[in-house]
Amino acid sequence: MAIAEAPALAPRREPIAAPVRETLGRRISKHWSDYLYILPSLLVMLLVIGYPLVYTVWLSFHATPPRTGEWVFNGVQNYRDILSDPRFWRTTANTFYWTIGSTLFAFILGFGAALALHNPFPGRAVIRAILLIPWVISAVAAAYVWRWILHSDYGLVTGTLLQWGIIDRPLVLLDSKNRVMPTLIMVNVWKEFPFVMVMLTAGLQTVPEGLLRAARVDGAGAWQQFRHVTLPHLRGVILITTLLLLVINLNSFTLVWLMTGGGPANASQLWITEIYNIAFRTLQYGLASAFSVILFIIMLLLGYFYVKALTANTPRREE
Amino acid sequence: MLYQPTRDPLVINRRRLIGFLGGAVAAGIISRDRALAYLQDASEKTGVTAEEWNPETIRALAGTREVDTAGDLHALVPESTEGTIQYWNVGPTEASPQITKDLYQEFLDTWALWYPNITLENQNVGYNDMLDKIRTAAAGGAAPDVAKMPILWGVEFAARGDTAEVTLEEFGWTAEQFWPGALKSVTWDGKLYGVPTNNETMAFIWNKQLFADAGLDPESPPATWDDVVAYSNQIKQETGKNGYGMVAKVNAGNTPFRFMPLLWAYGASALDEAVEEPTYDTTMINSPEGIAALQVMYDMYVRDQSVPTSALTNTQTENQDLFIAGEIAMMISHPSEYVAMTDRAAKATGADKERADQIVANMSYGLIPEGPARRAVVFGGSNAHIMSDAAHGAPVNREAARALVAALTGPEWSLKNNWADSNPANLVGFETEWMEQRLEEIKFLEVTTAMLPYGIPFPVVPESPEVMNIIVPEMLQNALTETMTVEDAANDAAERINALIASR
Repeated sequence: MAIAEAPALAPRREPIAAPVRETLGRRISKHWSDYLYILPSLLVMLLVIGYPLVYTVWLSFHATPPRTGEWVFNGVQNYRDILSDPRFWRTTANTFYWTIGSTLFAFILGFGAALALHNPFPGRAVIRAILLIPWVISAVAAAYVWRWILHSDYGLVTGTLLQWGIIDRPLVLLDSKNRVMPTLIMVNVWKEFPFVMVMLTAGLQTVPEGLLRAARVDGAGAWQQFRHVTLPHLRGVILITTLLLLVINLNSFTLVWLMTGGGPANASQLWITEIYNIAFRTLQYGLASAFSVILFIIMLLLGYFYVKALTANTPRREE
Repeated sequence: MLYQPTRDPLVINRRRLIGFLGGAVAAGIISRDRALAYLQDASEKTGVTAEEWNPETIRALAGTREVDTAGDLHALVPESTEGTIQYWNVGPTEASPQITKDLYQEFLDTWALWYPNITLENQNVGYNDMLDKIRTAAAGGAAPDVAKMPILWGVEFAARGDTAEVTLEEFGWTAEQFWPGALKSVTWDGKLYGVPTNNETMAFIWNKQLFADAGLDPESPPATWDDVVAYSNQIKQETGKNGYGMVAKVNAGNTPFRFMPLLWAYGASALDEAVEEPTYDTTMINSPEGIAALQVMYDMYVRDQSVPTSALTNTQTENQDLFIAGEIAMMISHPSEYVAMTDRAAKATGADKERADQIVANMSYGLIPEGPARRAVVFGGSNAHIMSDAAHGAPVNREAARALVAALTGPEWSLKNNWADSNPANLVGFETEWMEQRLEEIKFLEVTTAMLPYGIPFPVVPESPEVMNIIVPEMLQNALTETMTVEDAANDAAERINALIASR
């Protein structure tokens, strides 16, 4: 029996589904459990970051006479006062000098140390551990020790140089308005370079040995291997490390505060120490808040670039 | 506890004082300069007259009265009182003499015996940190129940309502038991916001050996500030050591205590606190006299380079190290400096010990030099305050606070808590056996006491801490680093002080 062939059915044309654009609400409801998991963290952040932030922004629009504790709304007057004060611009110059100087030299020294310690040699682990000491030492302890070392009248440096006959007058560093910033940057670089070293050591370990070997086979010298293989691989780590250093240095308070208090004659006054001065020494909380908001905006921009750098090579997760 | 000071019968009137001093000079007991110095004072500022308060009258008062602190306290606040009380104070540091540390602990131990049911939560905060800490705490409703604060700060807190109004009677005291200048420092808007615990003036200290090495008379300290500049330079030139122990750090209490005597001696003021009837509405810091005083500092630091280069970051603690090492020859400080130096010398070893012992043996005290206008010194001290409920963030345990303030300001502990570096604010303390003991034990105490009549209080206005801790030291730093000329630095300070006054 011949089986009658069933008439060929015209292929059923599936209607092409128009791409449904999910609304934010739908996406949130789809991931409700994810949000539930991070809710406790969000609540804590709202409490300890969100509330002070909103409070500070609101306070920045008020005059707060130091002797009364009152709040008087004055719009953007605090911002005007700060930006029109020559002292703000001097402090800004100091802050950039400090931040860029510290970041640059800590990076150079840290990168150098990471490269020098990348290839194994006897004692490498010990040297690496020793170089980490400045980073793990407390900033307060470091500040007091360095203040003593650099003290112009009974410091270790002056005492030794005088004893050796290299100088015939005390070496004035922290008490000199011209030398105080380079001196502070030197101490800060000493404290920070191990951080760069650790980050870049980790980065160096991710550079594929095979690529380096291939480059060598192709006749690349040490510099060319570094320039064309190592460096491109480290780009992400370098960017993140630099951004982190910039943020850390912009926010840096302890070393400068304990070693000079912003002096002499405000020659080492930074944004962050100035904010402390305005708030707790002259009791102008409104003005200090406006200053903090300006600093916060700058930090936010840096934070944006940091997150962008951090996620640049991360593939977007399929939902 | 209604002690009345019994010093009245001992008062020497001016005529008798002149006669007494004349006799003392003739007998070679005191020098002519010192005798003349007793006759020029600033007593209208503090109520401390040279006739009434001089080494002889103080010695005569000592040991004439017995006090029963525990009995007096329990009559005021029953022993059975319960509760917890927080107490913040600027207590001894590592650099303090051992006796100061021991007595500080003894007070806390004795308190536990007096009031076993009141837990005293004590916090010893460093001088340079306490102001920021208590300001912030008061703003956030987290201040302690009781605070002992340096004389300069109290009015700022009173004006803001951070300290509670008190009466002397509630602690068992009367106004006659305190120097008027001391009570002024706790008075705001005609009301009392604290009780003085101690009052003192500093003196001038020099190293006789360095004087001799520099070709100066080791027995004669500089009589004027011009002499200080000249001596400082001569010491630097002849010995290579620093002459005067200058202190010019910002936000360090030591700075105004060492600069204001110079400013006042030249006839200027930060506001107008040194004039007869101060209004505190104007500044005299950039007057020709003020500029001349600042020029003295400039001459020593920049022109002659005869003072420590670290003066801009030094406090008196660093100066102590330099003095005991024989690196500076002159400084201004408390009588406790001698005790502190003796302590340091005792801890030194080997060659250091020999040198330290030699320096202590050559240490001498004299009156702070005079300027063209007067001889002057800061009338310093501390006060005990009960904080307001708002600043404390809850109702203050008033009964316990009353007991603590009474203990701190009584004749016994207002003396013992300030053994080496100050005087009891409660004048009955001068009459106790412990005062007698102090006079015997503390070398040079009578010299610092002799400075009392030249004492000038800091301006009694809420702006004082900012003026003294920030504006005046920054003026010094601007001039000494040559960031500004001397005149510009003084004008800049005046501008800032005027802006502060205008913001009242």
